[in-house]
Amino acid sequence: MQTRRSVSMTLAAFVMAVLPAAAHHGWSGNSQEEFELTGTVEQAVSLAGPHATMKVRAQGQVWEITLAPPPRTQAAGLNEKAIPVGAEVKIHGHRNSDPKRFEVKTERVTWNGKTFNVYPDRD
Amino acid sequence: MLGHAMRSSGVWTYGVVNLGHILGVATLFGAVLVLDLRLLGLWRTVPLPSIAGPTVPVATTGFVIAAFTGVALLATKATEYAGNPFLLIKFPAIAVALLNVAVVTSRPAWKHMGRPDQAAGDRRTLAVAGAVSLAAWLTAIGAGRMIGYW
Repeated sequence: MQTRRSVSMTLAAFVMAVLPAAAHHGWSGNSQEEFELTGTVEQAVSLAGPHATMKVRAQGQVWEITLAPPPRTQAAGLNEKAIPVGAEVKIHGHRNSDPKRFEVKTERVTWNGKTFNVYPDRD
Repeated sequence: MLGHAMRSSGVWTYGVVNLGHILGVATLFGAVLVLDLRLLGLWRTVPLPSIAGPTVPVATTGFVIAAFTGVALLATKATEYAGNPFLLIKFPAIAVALLNVAVVTSRPAWKHMGRPDQAAGDRRTLAVAGAVSLAAWLTAIGAGRMIGYW
């Protein structure tokens, strides 16, 4: 019975250690403030991986633009060919809360008078 | 090549392969958990071969599925994962878990597991292997889950 008790305690300790970290994914790693960035497309949209991505050069930096998951990004009309490299775009979203990281979790991308709203249910 | 296939075969590819990875891990860990708890001393009334018999092939199958889908997931954006600290926890943990399998299955304690007159030393050897296995797989799965949150 002692082994049974130590096994269940080990499992309980593990679950408790993991729970707080599980609150992630989503927006908690990003600043609450709305953030806007204007720059030129350095790397076109990629619809691969857990989130679609692109890269934008602005303020002398290359910014990682994290979009919605690929199916949702595509549904917003944003795909690999939607915006050419070198085009000037406006990014609206939330900056990574780590100021050393140039990453924006993005809600909208505007180019050429067109807005790609990948998170239409968010401001 | 695999990375290119993952990137160019539709917007649902990553999600579907990710699903396969989760099913593989669930299959592996579900079987491992039952076997390890038995090695640690639970359900002594059930003969060990009756538990090892079904759990070992189920765990092996789960591992193979998880390994193939996992390589595909990593290949999608290999360069971005290169600096992820959780990978440096996950892969050594998997190595420990596999080494543990290799060691325990080569021991007399494993080969004689069905004997009714099982020695206390053998029982202890198997219990240690069960504990190492649980710790290693929980570490691997925990670190693996955290890769996406870095």
